[in-house]
Amino acid sequence: MVRTPGEGNEAPVVAKQLTKRYPPDLFAVDHIDLEIRKGIVFSLLGPNGAGKTTTVEILEGLRNLTSGEAWVLGADVRIGYASIRSRIGVLPQDFEPFDRLTPAEAVTYWAKLFQLTFTTSDADRLLETVGLAERSKVHAMHLSGGEKRKLGIALSLVNDPELLFLDEPTTGLDPRARRDLWKLIRAIREKGTTILLTTHYLDEAEQLSDEVAIMHKGKIIAQGPPKELVARSSHGTTIVLAGAGAFGLSEVQRRGIPAQLVNSDVLVPVHDPEEMRTYLAKLSALELKLTDMYTTRPTLEDVFLSLVGAKMEEGVLQA
Amino acid sequence: MSRIWADAVAFGRQYLRSKTGAFFAFIFPILLVLLFGAIFSGMGGTALELPVQDQDGSQLSQSLREALNGTELVTVKLIPSDEDLTAYIRDHSLTAALRIPAGFELQVMTLLGTNASGLVNITIYGDPSKSTYGTAATAVSIALTQLNFGLSQARPVLGLESQSVASETFEFMDFFLPGVVGLTVMTSAMFSMTSLCAEYRGRGYFKLLATTTLKKAEWLGAKVLFYTLMFVASLLLTWLVGWALFDIHVVLTPLSFVFIAVGTLLFTGLGMLLGLTLRDPESAAAVSNAIGFPMMFLSGTFWQLEAAPAYLQAIAAALPLTYLNEGLRDTMVYQNLEGALLNLGILAAFAVVLFILPSKLMSWKGR
Repeated sequence: MVRTPGEGNEAPVVAKQLTKRYPPDLFAVDHIDLEIRKGIVFSLLGPNGAGKTTTVEILEGLRNLTSGEAWVLGADVRIGYASIRSRIGVLPQDFEPFDRLTPAEAVTYWAKLFQLTFTTSDADRLLETVGLAERSKVHAMHLSGGEKRKLGIALSLVNDPELLFLDEPTTGLDPRARRDLWKLIRAIREKGTTILLTTHYLDEAEQLSDEVAIMHKGKIIAQGPPKELVARSSHGTTIVLAGAGAFGLSEVQRRGIPAQLVNSDVLVPVHDPEEMRTYLAKLSALELKLTDMYTTRPTLEDVFLSLVGAKMEEGVLQA
Repeated sequence: MSRIWADAVAFGRQYLRSKTGAFFAFIFPILLVLLFGAIFSGMGGTALELPVQDQDGSQLSQSLREALNGTELVTVKLIPSDEDLTAYIRDHSLTAALRIPAGFELQVMTLLGTNASGLVNITIYGDPSKSTYGTAATAVSIALTQLNFGLSQARPVLGLESQSVASETFEFMDFFLPGVVGLTVMTSAMFSMTSLCAEYRGRGYFKLLATTTLKKAEWLGAKVLFYTLMFVASLLLTWLVGWALFDIHVVLTPLSFVFIAVGTLLFTGLGMLLGLTLRDPESAAAVSNAIGFPMMFLSGTFWQLEAAPAYLQAIAAALPLTYLNEGLRDTMVYQNLEGALLNLGILAAFAVVLFILPSKLMSWKGR
């Protein structure tokens, strides 16, 4: 049960039975409980339409909730946003910069909207932080997709926020640009900023997050640190005997080791270190023709697959 | 105030870096002045309306007025009988006006009854050096000839005297330049706000701005501030071109800048209203054009409304641009403070409504 700020909960984000319903009966967010501890990266993970952005926009004060309660930095999101707006940074989904402003002009403009004293060197420093120093004088319309997203993050950091919302910051970017942004997000976290990230990239959530909540059809279906979620899943480590074939499977099973054949590989699930030692000893004694032999650990992708029953690619559930 | 200024500066940079915006704010009005100036420079006043002060109010004076209208050279416009006609001519920049004196009919009937010789004269006032004065005098002569014939068949009993009253007269460009200023305020503010709203909604800028401490009213205020400054600059530039090339008699008065500020408020609000109520950019642009273009032509931008049919004048009275154009002319051309203030009052009433409405309708929050 989530404690409210009134009950002494000092977490930057707290939601209790948060619900957003569109008439007549579409529950975009369906009675979710959420608590995000200070200084962590918390990821809302899920396919498109899961309710991530709706949840985040309610917490950002950009959308009204239907029922339930939510507090951000101790303020009720329904009435208290005016007092906390300057302590929050937001990178909205599908962020587009102002085409005809340069990054230097844009961050200075944004700082003034927060009534901050912002010098040219402040702008240079911020753009250096996000990796846009060399492009600071270029009109935003000429920036690449990754650079535009970095500019969006620069805007969201202009007021040095305690809490940062990043709504799908890497969607549509190439792998290199994504990794650049991951580096930047880690650096922001290192400074102690609490980050609420939404993503449909499982690897991104796993790489960046201290905690993950998996959303599906408006509900949170699993929540916790990625390692814990993986450990909690039924999958353990697997020994793979690549190319062992049907003969390999029968040989393995003849020695009392449970296994299954996937394509031409024999997969041996392992549940604890003791079992691993025993199986490895028995399997090394076998004289099988293999192309490779290795172990795999489960990932969030496996957790997601087992929970939702489908894989996810670019935010879309695959049949 | 610092947030409004910051937003106005950032918006101004973007607006002026878009070549289309700068063209319609600065180049287009100058092109219009150059084009219409080349076509119409040298033409006199456009109206052949003849103000008539009928102090007699008799059947005969009415017949004279009808005869004047019958010439089709002039249209009689009655002015109050107790007005000082000389002052009236100067105040209204007229080239000609006619007075039918009290006792006119009685004198004519007396003359006809006694068979005595002589004439009963009526007086045309104005500036004989102007071509429109000549037209008016010709029309009066024709009308008097007709009346003479009707009254006495052959013997002339009615005569025409003239009294010279010099007043400043205006060329077409004097009339046209304030119209161009009004037109620029309407088109640039209304059309660009309509498309701006559609762009801000489509690209998520409203949502982005909602994540800052900027308030909606401040955002709107910044737009009005920028447009006002831009239109003042545009007015100065257009006036300078008109003054240098066409010897205009248009005066830059403090009130003309007030008109620009209030007009900007009004058309920014109207553009915002269209941009907010019409969800897709194409519809917003189409409706904006459908409203803007007829208003441009029906509000006396290019010609005097007095020359238009009554039903068009009634439509013009409902259009805010009419009051901007007329008010600018009153203050910049005719130096008619009373008329200018009346137009300013009506314009301000339009502005308040059209600014409050979108301010209330606008929401930066998602549904």
